[in-house]
Amino acid sequence: MKDIYTLGIDVGSTASKCVMLKNGTEIVAKSLIGVGAGTSGPQRAIDEVLAAAGKTKEEMDYILATGYGRNSLLEIADKQMSELSCHARGAYFLFPEVHTVIDIGGQDVKVLHIDQGMMTNFQMNDKCAAGTGRFLDVMARVLEVKVSDLAELGAKSTKEVGISSTCTVFAESEVISQLAMATDKCDIINGIHRSVASRVVGLARRVGVQDQVVMTGGVAQNTGIVHALEEELGHTVHTSPLTQYNGALGAALFGWEKCSREQ
Amino acid sequence: MSIEILLNEFKTVAENPAKQLADFKAAGKKVIGVLPYYAPEELVYAAGMVPMGIWGSNTKTISMAKEYCATFYCTIAQLALEMLLDGTMDQLDGVITPTICDTLRPMSQNFRVALSHKLPVIFLAHPQNRFADYGLKFTMDQYGNVRKELEKIAGKEMTNEDIQNAIRVYNASRAARRKFVKLASDHCDVITATKRSAVLKASWFMLKDEYTEKLEALNAELEKLPVCDWKGTKVVTSGIVCDNPKLLAIFEENNIAIAADDVAQETRAFRVDAPENADAMMSLALQFAAQDYEVLLYDKFSSQNRRGEFVANLVKESGAQGLVLFMQQFCDPEEMEYPSLKKALDDAGVAHIKLGVDQQMRDFGQARTAIQAFGDVLEMRK
Repeated sequence: MKDIYTLGIDVGSTASKCVMLKNGTEIVAKSLIGVGAGTSGPQRAIDEVLAAAGKTKEEMDYILATGYGRNSLLEIADKQMSELSCHARGAYFLFPEVHTVIDIGGQDVKVLHIDQGMMTNFQMNDKCAAGTGRFLDVMARVLEVKVSDLAELGAKSTKEVGISSTCTVFAESEVISQLAMATDKCDIINGIHRSVASRVVGLARRVGVQDQVVMTGGVAQNTGIVHALEEELGHTVHTSPLTQYNGALGAALFGWEKCSREQ
Repeated sequence: MSIEILLNEFKTVAENPAKQLADFKAAGKKVIGVLPYYAPEELVYAAGMVPMGIWGSNTKTISMAKEYCATFYCTIAQLALEMLLDGTMDQLDGVITPTICDTLRPMSQNFRVALSHKLPVIFLAHPQNRFADYGLKFTMDQYGNVRKELEKIAGKEMTNEDIQNAIRVYNASRAARRKFVKLASDHCDVITATKRSAVLKASWFMLKDEYTEKLEALNAELEKLPVCDWKGTKVVTSGIVCDNPKLLAIFEENNIAIAADDVAQETRAFRVDAPENADAMMSLALQFAAQDYEVLLYDKFSSQNRRGEFVANLVKESGAQGLVLFMQQFCDPEEMEYPSLKKALDDAGVAHIKLGVDQQMRDFGQARTAIQAFGDVLEMRK
């Protein structure tokens, strides 16, 4: 029987990710470009994943686009789906016992309730950037540190510093005030992590938190946020090394299911 | 006339209220702007003038109104003032400002201060205790004030018979709109979300007898069609205004039809008829007293969450799979009602999403994601 190759493309607001699957089970290749919707990122991510797998676009049995910029790929993709459905599907593939998915993306936060692999309920943040990846970008810039260093620095905190959880602009002003008072950056960062966690947990409780809790999206790489979420939620939060690829993985899985049904 | 021609005519009216206003004025008619909610439009009609609804704008930007408005006022009220200030509605002969919500109450004074040099601003305070005799009397007194102000603008007095005739015209229009809502659900392949909205929105910008004649013609054509075998999903919409074509197009992109609505600008505005009564002013007061399941109005049984259950039942009875709540930012009454509504929907097993909207939204990326995902959820629950 012929192998089925499906490609999932997740065009986020800050990054473009691709996952190529063989027969819905084996990840053949993946790619990530650090720019998203409206940039060259999606095409570069596609070129990269195809090159890594030694395949062409024509060899793909199904291409499914997801993410904020999914509609920009209508000429390339066979179908587009919302990233919520794809994150649910990806998380279920990685964690078959999952019931709650927390996805913190570049510009929004989503909490999904999963029942037997199906998304049955969800909540998204409103238009405010608080609690999103953008919030962390803004704070890292003010603190003159790399976003990738936030977790390590936050872990060195020795004192609790409260940062507003309601508004990115006000929180930025608070951080500047703390810096002016010579507060240790590590303590401020820890306060920022708890601020994000507090915001996200408020959203999660509206959906209802049920084990297993899985965190997806790029922010899941920040262990400071993961630990703060665990403290606030009172639940273990599971992450995967594939966390950033979870949406693209879900898209590739949906593509495979589509092909399977047609066959 | 074909369905397509009729739908295009409604769409043209819904998209061009300024042209409607200019055409009415060119025809020598006087036109009264009517702000939300529950203003007795019948009195405007009875005075021989044209009432035109003012529910904000999906294309304007708030600029001049900022001088008068707190930032948390809803964009519907702010954009209404903006259009009255920037010349868009300079041809109006007057405006009625009901005060039933916490924003419209202070806004009525802003309108008066900002506009009284331009046009008469007619203040209208509805009573919350609207059922008892004293409530009906209060409503009649208030409507009496509105009547007198309208008579001054019209330059003639209106008779009891004039008002009774207007009530008949409006009751017929309300009945036609209720029928259309049902037909729109039965024929949601033809009456898509944007078309449904345009038909209902046009009612605010046309003389009701002319509107009703056209709508009854559309209803008659729709009745000839077989009920569609809809393969997509159906929802009930709720909120104050859900008339942005770009937002509603997302429903169409995702094969989501509107089975019914709990929208203030739509069904909430034509749910209740005015009863036949020898005293026409009493008819209008009784009509207001009969308004029920309304976010803004006093409900002596509110602890029973009747409104929430009413909306949940509306979803079930209309054949919808879920509810999309358009939460106007920052509407206190709708926000404060939400926990009760959510509880009733959850208890009834009705899926819903809440989308924060305002009339200055130009990008609907987040709403697109939420609506598409909600469509996926509903599809799985079917």
